[in-house]
Amino acid sequence: MMTFVGKRILHLIPVLLGISILVFFLLHLIPGDPAMTLLGQEATPEEINRLREVLGLNEPLYIQLLVFLKNLALGDLGTSIFQDVSVLSLILTHLPATLELATLALLIALLIAIPLGIVSAVKQFSWVDYVSMFFAQLGVSMPVFWLGVLLIIGFSVNLNIFPSFGRGEPLVESILMTIQSGNLFYIIDSLKHLILPALTLGVMSAAIITRMVRSSMLEILNEDYVRTAEAKGVRSFWIIMKHAFRNALIPVITIVGLQFGNLMGGAIVTETVFGWPGIGRLIITAISQRDFPVVQGCVLAIALLFAFINLIVDILYAVINPKIKSN
Amino acid sequence: MEYNTEIINQTEIEIVNKKEPGRVRKFFSFISNSKSVLIGGVIVLIIIICALFAPVISTHDPYEMQMSDRLLEPMEKGHLLGTDHYGRDLFSRIVYGARVSLKVGMVSVSLSLLIGVILGLVAGYYGGWLDSIIMRIVDIVLSFPVLLLAIALVAALGPGIENVIIALGLVYWTNYARIVRANVMSLKEEEFIQAARTIGSNDFRIIFFNILPNCLAPIIVVGTLGIGIAIVAEATLSFLGLGIQPPESSWGWTLAFGMKFIRDAPHLSIYPGLAIMITVLGFNLLGDGVRDLTDSKLKRK
Amino acid sequence: MKKRNIFSKWLLCLGLLVLIVVAGCSYEDPESESAGSNSDQNEGEEAGSDNSTSNSKSSSNSVANKINVGLDVDAGTMDPRLSRDTSAKRVVEIVYDGLIRLNANLEPQPSLATDWENPDATTWIFTLREGVTFHDGEPFTAEDVKYTFDTILDPDFKAPYASLYKPIDSVEVIDETHVQFNLKEPYAPLLTYLDVGIIPKHVAEKGDSLSSNPIGTGPYKMIEWKKNSKITFEANKEYWGGEPTTGKIVYNIIPDNTTRVAALESGDIDFVHSPLSPQDISRIKANKDFKVVETQGLGFTYLNFNTEHEILSDVKVRQGIAHLINKEVISEDIYQNMDKPGKSPLIPASWAYSDEITGFEFDKEKAKKLFADAGWTDTNNDGVLDKNGKNLSITLSTHSEDPNRIQIVEYLQNVFTNNGIETEVLTNEWPTFSTSLMEGNFDIGLVGWLNLVGPDRSMYNQFHSESGSNYGGYDNARVDELLEEGRRVLDQSKRTEIYQEAAQIVTEEVAYDVLLYQGYIAMYNKDLQGFDIHPTGSLYGLKDAKITK
Repeated sequence: MMTFVGKRILHLIPVLLGISILVFFLLHLIPGDPAMTLLGQEATPEEINRLREVLGLNEPLYIQLLVFLKNLALGDLGTSIFQDVSVLSLILTHLPATLELATLALLIALLIAIPLGIVSAVKQFSWVDYVSMFFAQLGVSMPVFWLGVLLIIGFSVNLNIFPSFGRGEPLVESILMTIQSGNLFYIIDSLKHLILPALTLGVMSAAIITRMVRSSMLEILNEDYVRTAEAKGVRSFWIIMKHAFRNALIPVITIVGLQFGNLMGGAIVTETVFGWPGIGRLIITAISQRDFPVVQGCVLAIALLFAFINLIVDILYAVINPKIKSN
Repeated sequence: MEYNTEIINQTEIEIVNKKEPGRVRKFFSFISNSKSVLIGGVIVLIIIICALFAPVISTHDPYEMQMSDRLLEPMEKGHLLGTDHYGRDLFSRIVYGARVSLKVGMVSVSLSLLIGVILGLVAGYYGGWLDSIIMRIVDIVLSFPVLLLAIALVAALGPGIENVIIALGLVYWTNYARIVRANVMSLKEEEFIQAARTIGSNDFRIIFFNILPNCLAPIIVVGTLGIGIAIVAEATLSFLGLGIQPPESSWGWTLAFGMKFIRDAPHLSIYPGLAIMITVLGFNLLGDGVRDLTDSKLKRK
Repeated sequence: MKKRNIFSKWLLCLGLLVLIVVAGCSYEDPESESAGSNSDQNEGEEAGSDNSTSNSKSSSNSVANKINVGLDVDAGTMDPRLSRDTSAKRVVEIVYDGLIRLNANLEPQPSLATDWENPDATTWIFTLREGVTFHDGEPFTAEDVKYTFDTILDPDFKAPYASLYKPIDSVEVIDETHVQFNLKEPYAPLLTYLDVGIIPKHVAEKGDSLSSNPIGTGPYKMIEWKKNSKITFEANKEYWGGEPTTGKIVYNIIPDNTTRVAALESGDIDFVHSPLSPQDISRIKANKDFKVVETQGLGFTYLNFNTEHEILSDVKVRQGIAHLINKEVISEDIYQNMDKPGKSPLIPASWAYSDEITGFEFDKEKAKKLFADAGWTDTNNDGVLDKNGKNLSITLSTHSEDPNRIQIVEYLQNVFTNNGIETEVLTNEWPTFSTSLMEGNFDIGLVGWLNLVGPDRSMYNQFHSESGSNYGGYDNARVDELLEEGRRVLDQSKRTEIYQEAAQIVTEEVAYDVLLYQGYIAMYNKDLQGFDIHPTGSLYGLKDAKITK
């Protein structure tokens, strides 16, 4: 296991290097630079040029790249040009918010998808099956921002059940506060803020996972041993739970891992609609301000997270399915 | 959006492992599959007809502004779906929008296919260091949130439909490369390929005449699904202000702008949103159905 | 099977445990008024750990001691010398005081300076307010004023608005309460620009960053900044202008316009201010639960003509195009009257404004005639005007962040095309768009100017041939001369004449076509009282506002 993990980490190095270089050139390809956006409309060309000098933007591109890579190697992600704080601290304040949102979205997705997928596999070609497959198709064909705004209008403005924007206390902190004070307000407030954005973000994953659960369940239900068990007269519910679902879980876990990575991307839109202070918004804002260090740092952080989650998925995979280990 | 590209690949692998289903089940699944092909096909056909015959189908000039008739409700003053914020006929705009949205979907997928298939073929067939490099590139692109990469590309290329298409094409190719590579690697060892090699066919011939035709089925399926993804992605880019340029108008652009009026004129966002949903649904049903059909055919062989 | 039984037992136990824990809990909003004895009891034992959240109770029951404001973007640096974005400005407005503060008629009012005089045209002496302290308890002195302006003028400090203060030669401390500004030349607009927040020298010199920890003398002190989420302020009880009526102000960052207004409607926030979507305004106006107040803002939205462009360098073509623009339609239909039709670069809020100076009325025939005079006619009947075999073709560009501007551009494209001008539209992100403006790489750009506190601010940088913000390369010797004179002369009535003449010329020659005078709108909870909207968009007035239930 250790060598496996070690190998994966070694593999990661060229990928991260590639990402850094790709992002670097992409950013410098985009017209406009931070000196201009920082100084605003009324700045004179001399003032802009002076700031460019200070920021090192007048150096040849390859020098800038080398400086960036050198700092990166030293573990220094740089300082935000706009906010005047270290990129690392920005990532540390924004990433947890996105993780929290993505985790809950995934949880919601699983809560919808697993029962729906199982039922529609067991009752294949019934109306339940058709309804859930229709939902699964719908979920992937709906633009996220549309769903988000509809939810806000429905649940915040008309029904006034959930807040329309923003984040409560961080969920972990709110749980601690609740335990400490015995006041449920904290945790409920955090959850109330989470629910609409998490639902918005989770629906598409729910749709995808539903399809996955259904197809892998169907497959297993057709396996000989399940049929044998059925023939032996074992109650069908237990067949489903014991044999089928456990085995169906393997491809589902892979998908869940991949979904988690992709939820990070979907967070960009969700966070914009709901004013969620996560890393997606941080990146979008940084791109529009040409705050190069922030964009570079955030992209690297996300890439690392991707790699980390995929590693966990692979380990889980090996744990659930011992056959893989021996291979 | 970018999410479901992953699953497609995954289900693809699943399907390869699929066991022969029972006879009765096979019959039912055949019916159901052809049903989804049927429904999906009809939807896609209707959309294509809309795009081709837009001037005939539309009731008004989609570009003509009539500021006095802003934001009319559906059916008002002879406007089937009402008017937009310039008093332009929404129905006609959606009909014409089919052209742009289909173009975005189809051309960007073709571009992704071109990149993905070639790289996948090369990686799978030659293996070795070429394979390593190509797969590392795939890894790099995959570790970005796809949407983010598209945003950066559109920002770099500038706005406009061509650039949106290029950006989407440049970010969605990784799946095709992976699927093709996996297929090529298994095909490579098949007898008929070995035979072709002993006859003395060159690599080019083998790749394009022996291997490629044999992995067309999954490519077509995933490509079909990809069209839907691209259409939704274009809408998202429009929402973030990185879409096409007026006066051209895709459904995504109409939807994104309609969102600004969602409280007072919800029809402006509901109808283009429905158009996107139905079209994506059509392509997905078609893709799923075709996959299951070709899959069972392959298995029967 | 056995395994499962054990599992379900565990589940049962866990469920019971959760139930017990939940039953022992209360549910109280620690910030709400009615959070009475119950939560006090619960928190009493851990008072030490929970101080910050539970002790912020208001004194009176009928007044909500907090105002929730919705802002569109997070603030950048909050150092008043460096800040440029509107959100940072909104922070600076309530955390800092300048030497002066502009009133609703844009006249300088005493703030940290109680009085000022001009012994001669290049000397200004300010008497400072005594007994003022910064939020950290240190007294405010003349040294702080000198330090603030010295750093702004220091080229290495890269202050974005340094050019506004360029005519200042030096700032001298006369004594504790008097500072003297020595100018290189007479500079009439100076006083209006002295509303920049005075920063504490002792903090800045220690090297502490004021960009995320602002310390001023203003009515509110910032207590917490959650990036991209919210900024919280607490009333400065020692404020020299009297203690603010509301204990806490929270700026909530809600980027999406639709969501921001939805948050107001759902009661999550109490107050929103422009920028807003015009289409939301009429709906909120119709809703009895909210108040909508409007004022003329300090900005205009205009078409910047590139006078060095081969087609647009002909003034007749520019005038023809100006005749094709129906500003009433833009104002009414696109902006729902939020912004009013514009006339000249002098805004109505300014003392130099004149109703007489107007641009060109909407008249297609006059436009056609002007184009014909310039040699542009449709010789080949393809619907596009041409001259020497070349089509009259232009590109209209703007930035993609503002949906209203995209709407203007799309509308104008339609009108221009219908009147024989081949028109392309280009909407780029702001940094890309502004790069093309600065490089002169555009035909007609749709842009805006903000914070036009005086005619100098709305004309000198824009039309002087040597100025950096004169994107269109406009060059008129008479205008240069007038703009320079306007800075030298101190007499306001004379300056009025000067700026009106300059405005007349640039409008006549269509260097700019000012489409709209920007309006400011604040929409708030009807229970919020005491807020006065300000043409600069300042939220300083919130210090006198309160929410009574």
